Amino acid sequence: MAAEWVKLRSIRSTWLCLASGVVVSVLGAITLGGAAAMESEHVQATEPVVSVILFSQYAAIALAVLAVTTEYASGTIRPTLQAVPVRGRMLAAKALVVAPVLFAAGVLTGAAAALATYLVLLAPVFRSAPALAPAATAADLLRLGVFHALVGVLAVGVSAALRGSAGSLAALFMATLGLPLLLVMTGVPAAVEVSLRLPTFAGMAFLGSTDNLTGGPLPYPPGEGLAWLAAWTALAVAAGYAVLRRRDA
Amino acid sequence: MITLDRLTKRYGERTAVDGLTLQVKPGAVTGFLGPNGAGKSTTMRMILGLDRPSSGTALVGGTPYHRLDRPLRTVGALLDARAAHPGRSGRAHLLALARANGIPAARVTRVLERVGLATVAGKRAGTYSLGMSQRLGIAAALLGDPEVLMFDEPVNGLDPDGVRWVRELMRSLAAEGRTVFVSSHLMSEMQLTADHLVVIGKGRLLADAPLSRLLAATEVVVRSPHAGDLADRLTAAGLTAVRRGENELVVTGATVERVGDLAHEAGVRLHGLSPREPSLEQAFQELTAGSVEYGVTR
Repeated sequence: MAAEWVKLRSIRSTWLCLASGVVVSVLGAITLGGAAAMESEHVQATEPVVSVILFSQYAAIALAVLAVTTEYASGTIRPTLQAVPVRGRMLAAKALVVAPVLFAAGVLTGAAAALATYLVLLAPVFRSAPALAPAATAADLLRLGVFHALVGVLAVGVSAALRGSAGSLAALFMATLGLPLLLVMTGVPAAVEVSLRLPTFAGMAFLGSTDNLTGGPLPYPPGEGLAWLAAWTALAVAAGYAVLRRRDA
Repeated sequence: MITLDRLTKRYGERTAVDGLTLQVKPGAVTGFLGPNGAGKSTTMRMILGLDRPSSGTALVGGTPYHRLDRPLRTVGALLDARAAHPGRSGRAHLLALARANGIPAARVTRVLERVGLATVAGKRAGTYSLGMSQRLGIAAALLGDPEVLMFDEPVNGLDPDGVRWVRELMRSLAAEGRTVFVSSHLMSEMQLTADHLVVIGKGRLLADAPLSRLLAATEVVVRSPHAGDLADRLTAAGLTAVRRGENELVVTGATVERVGDLAHEAGVRLHGLSPREPSLEQAFQELTAGSVEYGVTR
């Protein structure tokens, strides 16, 4: 694990991903928050931050994907597996380093975005003063951390199975955005039901998002959202492990 | 000690490594020779647990690689020079490997100094020349101070100084009692480095013998005004010397160096001393004839 931490922090792409996550979150949250504050009297500053995960999650996904696929692209996977020949241990170490890093990133990025939104909404053009209730804010931030950590581990699993950066990112983009939107667009009730349980909507349910693309609160409680998200993550890691064990490095 | 027992790797119809059984012993440099595509790299990858054998086993010190607790402390290997992330510094690359195997960070500095990369350790590996990458790979192999070392084509891309440095490094590692297993497709390089040779072709074992035995095929042409005296002297040393012309001998079974040394000891003046093809190179070609994977049809 110490080794994976050295690897993660010693390349620039990690920091670029984290920085771009902050930029997307802050700008996105301010925009959505501003739009909301034009119409409504009460805006909790973390609400737009939660909505913006639809986009900001890709910074976390990219970081996690690159932590795995650059090993294959650069050939580092061979020295890595020479040092840690038990494949499951190598994958676990990656997941266990990516998860806390993204948890912290999720919390801190969320805090920065919420604070920025709060400050912007203080401007007199908006109808009302925004809220940043301590308890609700803290809970939201923790959930944002958990969400980003789980999405990151999911991405580690998928990239261990696919090995290529482009393929992994494309697959994850489809799974987290393309497929759910497609299913919702069909309008078929069963398809919509499935879509709402894919990682992105499950994550939104967990985060208590009321404002989502289906135009209303999700039809199940936050706890179930977390369960679905965790289940998808477990499935991705299992797939990654199966490929890693069977295929030659 | 590396032990292979009927080690086999098949890719679909193609058999890359075919029932390889051999032992690589400590305290010597063992050259692993074969034409391109003979299965050298695949064999090394199977020893390191990177590729799964179709059948047979590969053991390092009696243990399968993946069972080793801190493998870098037992086996160091250079497979591919360009195996560092181009955006990561040489030091961070080694530090990550060290951390994975409980090797102190001070050791990273030591091996960087030993391979002569101390001054560029903080630079990103992508900026290294092929020779520097090769040195970084060698540093990674030395990191855990291992008993067993494997190098896949270690002199590729090195300048003459670098080649000599690698040669001396391998000799000294073997002299320390370690097992050194080096692959190459260059016979001439192995002639200078190895004590023992393993030759494969099309995945099959063709020869597994001390260098001296394979060298028996070497011929040295020597010219001297006292060819008769020299012939007696060489014969006494166990070599075969055949008179050719008035002052020329064809000697088999020894290197140029040995013949020169013997002449010097006997106080015989030499006017010419040269190796003659067929040499080891030719012996190698004869051994591997018919097993060249991508050979040209003649």
